[in-house]
Amino acid sequence: MARKVLVAVVSLVFLGIAGLGQTPKLGGEMVIAFGTDPEALDPNRITSAPAGMVLTHIAETLILMDEQLKLQPLLATSWTVSEDGKTVVLNLRKGVKFHDGTPFDAAAVKANLDRFRTATFAFLLYPRVQTVDAVDEYTVRLNLDMPFAPLLSHLSHNFVAMLSPKQLAALPAGQFVMDPVGTGPFKFDKWVRGEYVRVVKNADYWGDKPYLDSVVFRIVPSDATRLVLLETGEVHAIMRVPPMDAPRVAKVRGVEVVNLPGVRTIYIGFNVTKYPFTDVRVRQAFNYAVDKEAIVKEILGGAGGASNAPIMPLIFGYTPQEPYKYDPEKARLLLKDAGIPKGYKVTFHHPTGRYVMDAAICEAIQAYLRDVGIELELVTMEWAAYLAFMNKPVAESTHLMYMLGWGTVTLDADYGLFSLLHSSQWVPVGSARSYYKNDTVDALLEAARTIADPGARKDLYARAMSLIWKDAPWLFLHYEGQINAQRTMAKGLVHHPREYILAHKAWIDR
Amino acid sequence: MIQYAVRRLLLAIPTLFGVTLLVFGMVRMLPGDPALTLAGAQATQEMVERLRQEMGLDEPVHIQYIRFVGDLVRGNLGKSLRTNHPVAAEVAQRFLPTLELSLASLLLAMAFGIAAGVVSAAKPYSVFDYTSMVAALVGLSAPVFWLGLMLMLLFSVRLGWFPAAGRGTLAHLILPSVTLAASSIALIARFTRSTMLEVLRHEYIATARAKGVREIWVVLRHALRNALIPIVTIIGLRFGALLSGAVLTETVFNWPGIGRLMVDSILARDYPVVQGAVIVVAGAFVFINLGVDLLYGIANPRIRYE
Repeated sequence: MARKVLVAVVSLVFLGIAGLGQTPKLGGEMVIAFGTDPEALDPNRITSAPAGMVLTHIAETLILMDEQLKLQPLLATSWTVSEDGKTVVLNLRKGVKFHDGTPFDAAAVKANLDRFRTATFAFLLYPRVQTVDAVDEYTVRLNLDMPFAPLLSHLSHNFVAMLSPKQLAALPAGQFVMDPVGTGPFKFDKWVRGEYVRVVKNADYWGDKPYLDSVVFRIVPSDATRLVLLETGEVHAIMRVPPMDAPRVAKVRGVEVVNLPGVRTIYIGFNVTKYPFTDVRVRQAFNYAVDKEAIVKEILGGAGGASNAPIMPLIFGYTPQEPYKYDPEKARLLLKDAGIPKGYKVTFHHPTGRYVMDAAICEAIQAYLRDVGIELELVTMEWAAYLAFMNKPVAESTHLMYMLGWGTVTLDADYGLFSLLHSSQWVPVGSARSYYKNDTVDALLEAARTIADPGARKDLYARAMSLIWKDAPWLFLHYEGQINAQRTMAKGLVHHPREYILAHKAWIDR
Repeated sequence: MIQYAVRRLLLAIPTLFGVTLLVFGMVRMLPGDPALTLAGAQATQEMVERLRQEMGLDEPVHIQYIRFVGDLVRGNLGKSLRTNHPVAAEVAQRFLPTLELSLASLLLAMAFGIAAGVVSAAKPYSVFDYTSMVAALVGLSAPVFWLGLMLMLLFSVRLGWFPAAGRGTLAHLILPSVTLAASSIALIARFTRSTMLEVLRHEYIATARAKGVREIWVVLRHALRNALIPIVTIIGLRFGALLSGAVLTETVFNWPGIGRLMVDSILARDYPVVQGAVIVVAGAFVFINLGVDLLYGIANPRIRYE
């Protein structure tokens, strides 16, 4: 239900700003500003949303995940998964050419997929695909060593976009693509590092041709500066409006604020191998002690929502759990039961400037816990140092309580749960920094990877999440919302939950 | 003088060598790991290990240092760990905007700073003196990001005179260079004023006045010329500070300069880029200092270079 509601809200957002009913005007350059320079424009090297957002205008994936999070044909027109789940056959679109004139065919797909298999960052495809066969000119077959149900959503991720095999063949060893040649509606034009990336209309695009002549992605790290640029009209759309500025921006004439859910869950992890978090009562008490709703409302300005599962509602496999309602009295009782004396000190490590209002949220948590007799000692760390500190194997770990976020970019519960809560994934192997282990949860998460039936998968995830919820290896906080803003003259922009603003079908109403 | 300049340039070599050792060591002493930082909080161990190998970080540190200095001598600053781009290209691309911004600010600072200082000293305890010295105090103490945003709000959002941010035309240069210049104008103004006041007390000034030289020439020719040496020193130091200290201005005005590159690279633990940027800025510092020393002779012919 909650998922439906959210999707409905999301769709409304898109319709509202799509400018339906008006005739799109041709031409012009749209400027979109965001905070960080892409690290590369090579699917093999990128890890960040900004890089994915730029790349998706230039290079396309086999399967598309639309803004309502449904899988749609893109470069593959249809696909079939074998009964045993170990073979996936993709039928490719005919008559598509890369920007350099190279035809898009099975050989091109094989070249790209084979490259991902040996890549550093193709973690999305990497797990199970063993070989790729070009069956005929427009059919490819992926052979898996065991079924991997989330594969199709993984193939929809922009990090596995198709580049011209000619470009890949010409690339010197150890180099990454900086000027991608794809099949998309826009062609790469120019990248001035630290300033902007510019893409221009691909007049030979196989699908509906873009209205715009070009799109410029401006890199503007300062939140305040992005806002000013939008107000002066120097840019058409910006990402990440600080929550406290959103109400003011909404009042600026010619500007509208766009609220949409993100896919990032924020949680406070407990090191369950260390006292006092070895005791489930303590972990539950911490969950009861903090008013998550108030944090979302007061600190995040209402963008996002309090967690009622370890993943957020838009993710496939989500089933809501009974929330730990704010109840300081219950928290005090649980702590007393667990024999935790009043004024007990716990160290809490957290980053700053990484997640929306992260440090402020940690301070709020400190105040809530003081109220139930726990003294949190906050240790604020710079991101790179924090990562290194948090990535220790369990025997060397010194953290007790930490803040982290997780973007389930594949929009499938597998990616949102397995790496974080399966006991084979304790850092440094995976990303499980709470060192949580529950054999039943492990078995459920493994099973859900390998069966194809969506209904059955959802059941398995529901069971796994209800156990995780009761075990409370985390203080379940919230999922982030995204606050973007744009000029009203910018029509047809799509604000995508993957933290993208897409200009594929955008136009400027001058 | 040429001999002196050559000797100073030769002395710069050990200085810069020391810089390489310091920056190489310091950047590696920071907690954190470039591979892990690039891979992020959602990476698997396999990814991080592959990346570490690709980056050449699995080699012992002293081997890495020898390789770095060896490449440096051949004019090769290495490759960015994050983007795999040549560091020299990346640093060069970012150094020019910073140089442009610093020079513009320096010109503003000299013009306004010296003028305000000279007039204040010529008419001490006047309304102009008080006003300009209070303004200087404000200029010195206003945080750069605040000043920048205020100028942006007034001149871009309200009045629409200048573009708010970015680099391109001369109009883009005005707000950031004023912002960056503010504290230097203030500093130079106060410094010029006090130096001038001191010089104006000397007997030769009284002599000049007694000879009937017009007051304006007393101030400009007799006093300012003699006050210039400490002012030139301060200006040289400010220039160095402008080059390396423009990071806040660069961030507020989205100026693609070397300060931002350095901060981004430190945060990403992109060792080669940090090293390259620091060496280039250190080199610029050495040149500026040399330039200042040579200027002394022009400002005051009594100074001899031995």
